[in-house]
Amino acid sequence: MSAVALRDVCFSYDGQNQVLKHISFTAEHGEITLLAGPSGCGKSTLLAILSGIIPNITPGTLTGEVCIDGASILGRGTDEICRQVGIVLQNPEAQIVHKRVEDEIAFGLENLGLAEERIARQIETVCKLMSLDTDWQTRTLSGGQKQRLVTASTLAMGQKILVLDEPLANLDQTGGRELMELLRDLAGHGYAVIVVEHRLDLVLPYADALWAMENGTVHRVTETEAYLRTQTRKIADNLPLFTPEDDLFTLEHISYRVGDRDILQDVTFSVPRGARMVILGENGCGKTTLLRLIARLNRPTGGKLTQHLEPGFDRRSRPDRAWFRAVGVVYQNPNYQLFMPTVRQEVAFGAVSQDYADEILEQFSIAHLADRHPQSLSEGQKRRVSIAAIAATKPKVLLLDEPTVGQDYHGLKEQVELLNELHRQSGCTMLTVTHDVRCAEALCDRAVLIADGVVQRQGGKELVRTYFGV
Amino acid sequence: MSGDKNILYPLTGILSAVAILLSGLIFAKEPLCPVLLAGFFLWLLLFGCHRACLRVLLPLLLVGGVFAGITYAASGDGQSALSMMNRTAAVFLAVVPGMSMTPVQMTRCLSSLHAPRAVTLGMLIALSFVPLLTLEIRRVREAMVTRGAGSLFSPQIFYRAFLIPLITRLVNISDTLSLSVETRGFTLDGKDYSIYHLQRFCPKDGLYILGIAAGIAGMAVMA
Repeated sequence: MSAVALRDVCFSYDGQNQVLKHISFTAEHGEITLLAGPSGCGKSTLLAILSGIIPNITPGTLTGEVCIDGASILGRGTDEICRQVGIVLQNPEAQIVHKRVEDEIAFGLENLGLAEERIARQIETVCKLMSLDTDWQTRTLSGGQKQRLVTASTLAMGQKILVLDEPLANLDQTGGRELMELLRDLAGHGYAVIVVEHRLDLVLPYADALWAMENGTVHRVTETEAYLRTQTRKIADNLPLFTPEDDLFTLEHISYRVGDRDILQDVTFSVPRGARMVILGENGCGKTTLLRLIARLNRPTGGKLTQHLEPGFDRRSRPDRAWFRAVGVVYQNPNYQLFMPTVRQEVAFGAVSQDYADEILEQFSIAHLADRHPQSLSEGQKRRVSIAAIAATKPKVLLLDEPTVGQDYHGLKEQVELLNELHRQSGCTMLTVTHDVRCAEALCDRAVLIADGVVQRQGGKELVRTYFGV
Repeated sequence: MSGDKNILYPLTGILSAVAILLSGLIFAKEPLCPVLLAGFFLWLLLFGCHRACLRVLLPLLLVGGVFAGITYAASGDGQSALSMMNRTAAVFLAVVPGMSMTPVQMTRCLSSLHAPRAVTLGMLIALSFVPLLTLEIRRVREAMVTRGAGSLFSPQIFYRAFLIPLITRLVNISDTLSLSVETRGFTLDGKDYSIYHLQRFCPKDGLYILGIAAGIAGMAVMA
């Protein structure tokens, strides 16, 4: 008896356009089943059906048979299904209910009616497994730590079928491997683990079964190695060798502290003008903080950060419009930076000229979306528009915080090529924070590795290769 | 007391908030009202609400000062201005117990009292949403600035760049939050649930509420 079995399942959100088309899919106890495929192909919809979210919470037209441990789930409520199937959703930040790690993990266990002593034991176990501290405040956690927390909250509930939607999206290499080893261990103890993930290089070595989704259909892949090769080919860097001239930013003994927690302790390095620099490091090591300090969104609590863009910028205590025209900041989540009624207006907002905005629309291959509302686009398209909008201001510096999170291979490749082309044309200095092995080397002339609040190593592409172990 | 040290039992906090608000409004015109309100402030400080007390102090003085100033300018009466200051202070002080409470304390308190799960869920989402909202507002403002849309001199862009991303984010977050709560077994039909750290009314809560009641009673006698 399969842990999960779908037979001839069709689903449509609006009753007309089928998102899933006659899908048959199985996942077994004792196995890790990987579900792969491009963005928007229906993977998350499939997981929502398995966990009862569809049709109980999200309505739609569902036909076919969906069985969990041999019993049909049609007609059963989410509250009943969630006692059999644990799900880790995307967007960890929005799933956190409580202020403390301990309370957050306890929440699901209380709902299952477990005794206080057992809850305490479960919390201790999962915190140890996921490297979390029970007393940490949930709002101050880094993206990776939040991901670990929501995963821990689900693992603690102990369902024998686990469904994880892009659980590695915010995790570094070590965190990703540790999570996959843990899932492997759980599968060894009879759990059925279903993972949707784009980072196949990390997941596939641990997976027992691979299913590929495309355009609402799914099929089992037997030639996993060949599939992996098509999805993880290293993205080539076609730019010429970088020759440094002078420095654009100099960081001397930079420290940053929040409350009694030292995020950065003594960071010293410089960013050469015109370089593409990649900032590497484990979750919570302060990479995003470092990027924010360079963008002047935060001020260091110690040390000296000097910019050599324009002397005038130093005279202003706060960064102004002129600063952000020179220093473009691309957020991990594009929704924050899109607000105009059409893509055309979005790119034209702040652009150096209307002609240049039109040129950028073409260059980023979004001219066909020009009259669409930016918020109506897919996540990949939104990300492209947000980068285009920043690029249209012709920034001298481009700061990118995890620009590839949740991107499928095709989207990622296009995005990297776009960024490199932009860099080639404008000569802008580009700083990228990334955990993504697929693109880090292609976006790198220089690399800096942050660990324990200090610069552990500096180098070039070889540092990226060493860090990711490729 | 709750699992967290020095924090009030949630229902005590709510009860005292109502008492502070009503007494502040009723006695606003009494000359001794500022003393009563100052007493409440000190009492809240003593009973573990110091962080919230300090956070409301400046807004209380600013907003109260503005309202009192407007009242004085309109009526030319110092007593009316003082009454307005008292009313504003009562509103701000009534917020303090709520600010000192966490969603988990409230949820566990309501659960232990076997309150309807719909009420518990509503309170949980509402209390969880406030810090999220604050955080999102800050992030959206910051993102606006990075796009060069932070200027107050262009209200149309300001509101567009602020409201659209904020609403998009909030809709997204509330959807995910409700999914998170439901997929982690929270039900409305009163299925068995347990409480990890039971919230208990303890002597300190009694002393706290007695102090509030004594202040109000004293004021009523002297008024």
